[in-house]
Amino acid sequence: MKAPVGWLRDYVDLPESSHEIAELLASIGFPVDAIEPRPELSNVVVGRIDTLQKHPNADRLQVAKVDIGLRQPLNIATAATNVAVGQMIAVAMIGAQLPNLKIERRKMRGFESEGMMISADELGLPADWFEDGILQMDAETLLGADVISYFRLRDDVLDVDITTNRPDAMSMTGLARELAAATGKELRLPPELQHAEGRIGARDRDAKKDADGPAVSIRSADCTRFVAQRFSNITVRQSPLWMRVRLALAGQRPINNIVDVSNYVMLEVGQPLHFYDAAHLSGNHLIARDAAPGEKLVTLDDVEHELFQTDLVIADEQAVQGLAGIKGGKNAEVTAGTRKIILEAANFNGARIRRMSAAHGFRTDASTRHEKTLAPILTDLGAARAATLLIAEGAAAHAPHAFGDSLQKQTPVHLPLGEPKRLLGFDLNAKEIRALLSPLGFNSEQDGDQALLIQPPAWRNDVTISADVVEEIARMAGYDRVPMVMPAIATHDIASAAYHLENRIAYSLEALGYYEIVSYSLQGAGVRQRFSNAGLSLRAREVEIRNPLSAEQTFLRSALEPGILDHFARMDQPIKIFELGHVFEQGDRIEEIPMLAMGWAVENAREPNWRDSAFLQFKGDCEELVRRLTGRKPEASRDTYLGMHPGKCATLSLDGVEIMHLGAADPRLLHGYEIRRAVYLAVIPLTHIPEPAIPQYRPGSRFPSTTRDLALVVALEVSAKAIEQTIASTIGDLGKSVRVFDEYRGPQVGENQKSLAARMVLQRDDTTITDEEADEAVARALSALKSELGAEIRS
Amino acid sequence: MSQLAQQLGEIKGRFDAALSRAADDAALEALRVAFFGRIGEITLLRRSIGKLPPAERPTAGKIINDTVASMEEQLSAVQAKLESAQFASELGKDIDVTFPSTEPAMGSIHPIRRLTEIISGYFERHGFAVVLGPEVEPDYYNFDALNIPAGHPAREGFDSFWLTDTLLLRPHTSPMQIRTMQQHQPPIAVIVPGKCYRRDAVDARHSYMFHQVEGLLVAHGIHFGHLKAMLTGMCSELFGPESSIRFRPSYFPFTEPSAEVDARCPLCKGRGGSCRMCGGSGWIELGGSGMVHPNVLREMKYDPEVVSGWAFGFGIERMALRRYDVDDIRRFFENDPAFLRQLR
Ligand SMILES: [Zn+2]
Repeated sequence: MKAPVGWLRDYVDLPESSHEIAELLASIGFPVDAIEPRPELSNVVVGRIDTLQKHPNADRLQVAKVDIGLRQPLNIATAATNVAVGQMIAVAMIGAQLPNLKIERRKMRGFESEGMMISADELGLPADWFEDGILQMDAETLLGADVISYFRLRDDVLDVDITTNRPDAMSMTGLARELAAATGKELRLPPELQHAEGRIGARDRDAKKDADGPAVSIRSADCTRFVAQRFSNITVRQSPLWMRVRLALAGQRPINNIVDVSNYVMLEVGQPLHFYDAAHLSGNHLIARDAAPGEKLVTLDDVEHELFQTDLVIADEQAVQGLAGIKGGKNAEVTAGTRKIILEAANFNGARIRRMSAAHGFRTDASTRHEKTLAPILTDLGAARAATLLIAEGAAAHAPHAFGDSLQKQTPVHLPLGEPKRLLGFDLNAKEIRALLSPLGFNSEQDGDQALLIQPPAWRNDVTISADVVEEIARMAGYDRVPMVMPAIATHDIASAAYHLENRIAYSLEALGYYEIVSYSLQGAGVRQRFSNAGLSLRAREVEIRNPLSAEQTFLRSALEPGILDHFARMDQPIKIFELGHVFEQGDRIEEIPMLAMGWAVENAREPNWRDSAFLQFKGDCEELVRRLTGRKPEASRDTYLGMHPGKCATLSLDGVEIMHLGAADPRLLHGYEIRRAVYLAVIPLTHIPEPAIPQYRPGSRFPSTTRDLALVVALEVSAKAIEQTIASTIGDLGKSVRVFDEYRGPQVGENQKSLAARMVLQRDDTTITDEEADEAVARALSALKSELGAEIRS
Repeated sequence: MSQLAQQLGEIKGRFDAALSRAADDAALEALRVAFFGRIGEITLLRRSIGKLPPAERPTAGKIINDTVASMEEQLSAVQAKLESAQFASELGKDIDVTFPSTEPAMGSIHPIRRLTEIISGYFERHGFAVVLGPEVEPDYYNFDALNIPAGHPAREGFDSFWLTDTLLLRPHTSPMQIRTMQQHQPPIAVIVPGKCYRRDAVDARHSYMFHQVEGLLVAHGIHFGHLKAMLTGMCSELFGPESSIRFRPSYFPFTEPSAEVDARCPLCKGRGGSCRMCGGSGWIELGGSGMVHPNVLREMKYDPEVVSGWAFGFGIERMALRRYDVDDIRRFFENDPAFLRQLR
């Protein structure tokens, strides 16, 4: 909310510096988002045009004698056309500072001008919100008065952030009250805004004083109170300049003296008002009701709205005259010819107004206040303040009539005296508490020995429980008084396992040379498209976002691999990366799975079709990760996986449970991403990684070992794993390690065959193994290899 | 006897010649074997003593022993000379130690995780558990249970991505307050790091996806002072031992009283001015905090008159931008290796 400091000064004495005021506001919970500085201004006074003549040497200039209350009038030349003798105007004297302009003695076509008549623009006000040409002062303004200090044009405007629980502070008087309480200064309110509590019960007292006043029927529980008041003898014209300047500084465009009063009261008191031209209402009767099917309303801004049955409207006996709490209708608009008006100051259920505002996509200054549910007392205060301002404009005010709920005191809050200490950690006695709360309008009395009964003021419907009161106390006492005490936390049974697993993964992969990335969880349709261009379709149905901000946010990701590929495409360099993140699948319900994906982009190698050294390196990384996480070495087996090369894809398992899938990326997919390197991918759901096994130490044998290499020829489909397993299971305890270490295919072995070299390390724990034992073990292994796998010794 | 002396002289002559040619340890070892080995010349000569008359044997033994002693001396002298020559040659090597190093092929931890870990680690050492939660959450966990019923004005502050009428991407980590309190009884002491989503237009300071770290402590006798002490300690880890924090009153529906938390700027020590890190305010905004609202405790079937607690929720990126002096929040999600390498 824009709060002109000059306006706030009406109600409370404030420090000179805007920054100091901003800090004060922030210290009590109203941070200032921005201080809009006012321009440098000086030496502008009120003058009256006494004579006006054509400039002797220039057709388009006139020369005026302007009385500024001194003995000698000033001779001033002007090109403006809206000037006339007798007008009160603003004069910048020689030496005056205006935005981007300093007034100096100068000759205009041979005539020496002793100052300048100025426009609103030249006072730093929005030019198109004021009259063209020279700014006209009100007739009763004092000659020679300092325009800048009179209108407080040097005081900055604060953009104050008001939390949604404090609609009472969305007003100049509301903010002034907070500032007065924070500084201990007196709050000066207009008389009709004082003694709010005294109005409680006003409905009965004011009834039937205006026999010709409008009847109001409330036919919805969402309209809680409706103050209606009749004004006659209305003359619609421009508002006095002081009001127009104030509205403009607060960001509100001046319209006419009636509309301006409603805006002024909304900004000053916080209660939105609406004025109806009584001549355009059918029957002296306003009805607050739900909209009927098919009803329409043209609002003041000339927009036609189809009304929903969920809309709350204000209607007369014939038609809808306004969208409750949001905007009035065009039909009964106050216009130049308006003579009698009906004032509406109403209170609505905020949630209802919020839903209506959202349904119509229509937010106004009124709805931003009403949607937070205002205190009902504001209806009466707003009407009373409007009456004063309208009377000043010559209107005749009739008695207000209040309809709906009568005004109630807020429910008092029981505050045990130990409560501030229990929640804030520091002690306050009853006297201190009362002194802190009283400037905010809270009354309190002793409630037994150990408690206070706190009566919140009528405008504070946000304070309903003792914690709310403690917050008020903390705000006023200042959080600086909170002591520092380390908590002693008792043991509890909440586990951090999932977090620690993620960290173990991240630090393991860092050590293996992988960079962690974090990519966006939302994506566009492009991901699915890229897969389908490669002849692949994403396994899972993606979860759709209902209200994305852009086409790139339409789906939740169903896999991490596209993010990895996207990174390789964007960065175009060889690198190892990984990401830990959630993926989402749309099934009968939405599945959310924490995942790990690893990727390696590496320069293409020239290798025969049956060899891929980088794959083996990548598999080594994957196995090492599994070992670090589980303490065990996983089994690899051939597999297929979406997006992976069908001939270069494996699954790692532990005890038959799949842990991860890895492989070279499908070349068609790489083509779609325009990646020209070889890419290896691995994916691991974090949902079934077993707890780590504790490694157990086994002392090595003291006796020498012997190493035997076997050169075998086998059919192509015989895997290295099968060779190793067959040897290992045949030679049993003698085998300390069995490893296939070379593969060859080509003319030296038959077609559909390959040659594999395996190395066995043989050793006994109890004595030195003899050559005979070793030979015998090798023979057994060869025989098993031959019978089980059809392996021959390579000659 | 004289024959033996003559043989010995010849052997010694061959030894001297061989020794003068020996240029390394291997040659010396070969020499040893040739003269003193199992069938070395000296060994054989010793054996021949037995053939001499008994009276000559002691003299013969003495002559051989004397010669052997002098040969051994020669051997060790040459060996010593060879060794010192080797050391001299080894010590003579001289490299340019400023030549660029070979970098180890280490990867890196993302700065978001690193910062999360510093914060979580601090709280873990003080008895907190670190829990993770889902990013798709029902409105009950995001709002209703947190004292933000439908139609509440504060819902607007959480401009969220919706998936169904009731499911949305969590706009804050606070749903895990509810999940944790539903599953456990006080004392509750948890830290919740994780991704959050809000419909913010993306620019240098805003991202629709961001990370928060949430803290919740609920037990008997917990008050704001405990929060102040814990957060001051956290800032010491983040910004150095002279750190301090301040609270500013604020409003969150799920805490009462509520406060914004600022840390004193570590660069200008709160002086502000033209400080690049805090933008001149002297303070760095961390996020919201407060005492858990009685309605939230009651929803969890806790008695708000018996237990009390506090919660906070800080934006990780906002802290990371300050801590690592990063100019644009989008860099955290671009993952340029050059960026990641600098912040590892
Ligand atoms: Zn600073």
